[in-house]
Amino acid sequence: MRSIQTDARFPLASVKPLDRLASYREVCLTLTRQALKAGCERRLNPLGAAPLEPWGQVEGLTYGRCRESGSFFLCELPDWKRWARLLSEVSRVRNSPEGFHSELASSREDHVTLPKSEWIQETLRLQGIFQPRVLEGVTPPSDFNQHLRQRGLFSEVIVADEMGLAHGAEPAPSKRVEVALLMESLDRVDDPVGLLRATNRSLQEGGLLFVTGLVSSGFDMAVLGLRNLYLYPPDRTNCFSLRGLKILLERNGFSLLEVSTPGVLDVEIVQAHLNGDPSLQLSPFERQIIEADCQTQSEFQAFLQQGGLSSFARIVARKGQMK
Amino acid sequence: MGKIRSQVLLRHPDVRSIKIVDPGIVPTEREMNGMWIPPGAKIPWAESDAVFVCTPNNVTADLCVEGLRRCGHVFCEKPPGRGWEDFCRIAEAAGSVPGHTLVFGFNHRLHPSVQAAKALVGQGGLGEILYLKGTYGKSGGVRYRQNWRNNRSISGGGILLDQGIHLLDLFHFFLGPLEVVDAVLADSFWGCGVEDNAFVLLKSHQGVPVFLHSSATLWKHTFRLEIGCREGYLMATGFLSQTGSYGREQLIIGKRQFEDEAMALGNPREEIIQFDRDESWEKEVNEFLSAVKEKRPATHGTLEEARAVMELVRDLYALKKDPMPSGRSY
Repeated sequence: MRSIQTDARFPLASVKPLDRLASYREVCLTLTRQALKAGCERRLNPLGAAPLEPWGQVEGLTYGRCRESGSFFLCELPDWKRWARLLSEVSRVRNSPEGFHSELASSREDHVTLPKSEWIQETLRLQGIFQPRVLEGVTPPSDFNQHLRQRGLFSEVIVADEMGLAHGAEPAPSKRVEVALLMESLDRVDDPVGLLRATNRSLQEGGLLFVTGLVSSGFDMAVLGLRNLYLYPPDRTNCFSLRGLKILLERNGFSLLEVSTPGVLDVEIVQAHLNGDPSLQLSPFERQIIEADCQTQSEFQAFLQQGGLSSFARIVARKGQMK
Repeated sequence: MGKIRSQVLLRHPDVRSIKIVDPGIVPTEREMNGMWIPPGAKIPWAESDAVFVCTPNNVTADLCVEGLRRCGHVFCEKPPGRGWEDFCRIAEAAGSVPGHTLVFGFNHRLHPSVQAAKALVGQGGLGEILYLKGTYGKSGGVRYRQNWRNNRSISGGGILLDQGIHLLDLFHFFLGPLEVVDAVLADSFWGCGVEDNAFVLLKSHQGVPVFLHSSATLWKHTFRLEIGCREGYLMATGFLSQTGSYGREQLIIGKRQFEDEAMALGNPREEIIQFDRDESWEKEVNEFLSAVKEKRPATHGTLEEARAVMELVRDLYALKKDPMPSGRSY
């Protein structure tokens, strides 16, 4: 198995500015409350039989914690079709002027989309896979699959609705694909196990799955917990720990090829929260890190990457056992 | 090395039994499920499908030749003997055994960082190689002088033949045939009468410059392979060795950026791939056994690859016939 570090540097403001997140986050929370109001059920722990432990609330929405892995999950969900409609609506908002993605399209292309496709491209090269067919599980529209088409890395790019896949309502590709992408999909679908199993069925034996997500074991998530403004449904309905993601993948027929946390923003995210709320309670050590000079912060962020302790996770898994 | 090879063989599903001949095994280790054969006892050639020669260099050629003649399938630990003459004896024996399999243990090219580097150069995105630079060394240790590796009559050479040969093989892996430009071989510290430092300048047939430093006075164990390319650079460092003394194995990938693309010239964005699994031993043995089973030539560690490095070793030692005024000694 391998892990990847990067010394790429970019400011939080260029990809997901905290100050401009508020209105989009509020829309997400409102739409989620509306979806839940129509009826909901308590969830089982996606990672096992033990029920979720009570953990706390995000703006009145309850999250529970998986003791085994330290992952946390929104505790109640409506029926899957309602959840699918919610994800669809949120996806539209994210890419509209109400969201912040469209305003930052250019810098997000440089710092989010391009590095993601380069990661995929280099991994495919290292694995000797050329011009494969790829399936992206996503709630459309996805600007990422347009980007992939433009780069010409794949012989075919198939887009499948992530909720449809998870619930068997999306037809499987006529021929199994060599590569599948779940870019933060496992964070937002109501049934991550169902999505993973459907993705597994769509992949050829030995095919590669690329997963990205925000993980609860990362520095800013661990420090801020429920106070982290980047934690809200439906985008973060599920917040797996890195260990939780590994368990999920291995239990569903994948072997791990790469597990990395190449995030570059953990320290800055905590800093931005502190700027927004100077009364934020931090431990003396956390405060020292936040108040340290740039060089120390940069080295600390590199340490987080190397130790699998940043909150942005990337995983490459192979369908089946390791060769 | 024999121990590592036997451990890998024991895990292989096609291996039914192993017999080990090793006069160095201490009595407490002898009860190895009937695997051990006492020194001087008859080697059961008739029951052997293949032989692994993991011996001091002075007996390598004899055993390879005998192995080739008796069972036809030989895996030979590097180096292929003490020098060019030993290698030629092995090559000649191989030539006289039709359908033989002969593989040499150059496992470094199968290390994950090296494999990843190979995938990224050229068409892999980083473009044509501009230069290669390799450093490989260890610190010797209190028993260094007693080790057969540093006794010329047994080993045939010093650190260049012991560890440096892996770098020569890696250079060949990336660039193809090479020729010697110049070298300094020095017995700087240990005073064993063989080189404990080798500084070697080579070039490929296309003129790509290559530099090697192989050392037994690197007090911090080091493996570093630098590959400069048109579009960026790679640096493989550390090694997933059993002791872990060479540090964590990683590959640094840098893309060329001039000031129009980066904040500061000469400080491009880097990515570091960390590896935590070394499958080179398994891959090497699996390939040898598959080649035997499928009656086909092996894909790596071939006679021609071994010839390429042994030609360089021959030329380097010829160039520096009396190169080693004994240096400082403690």
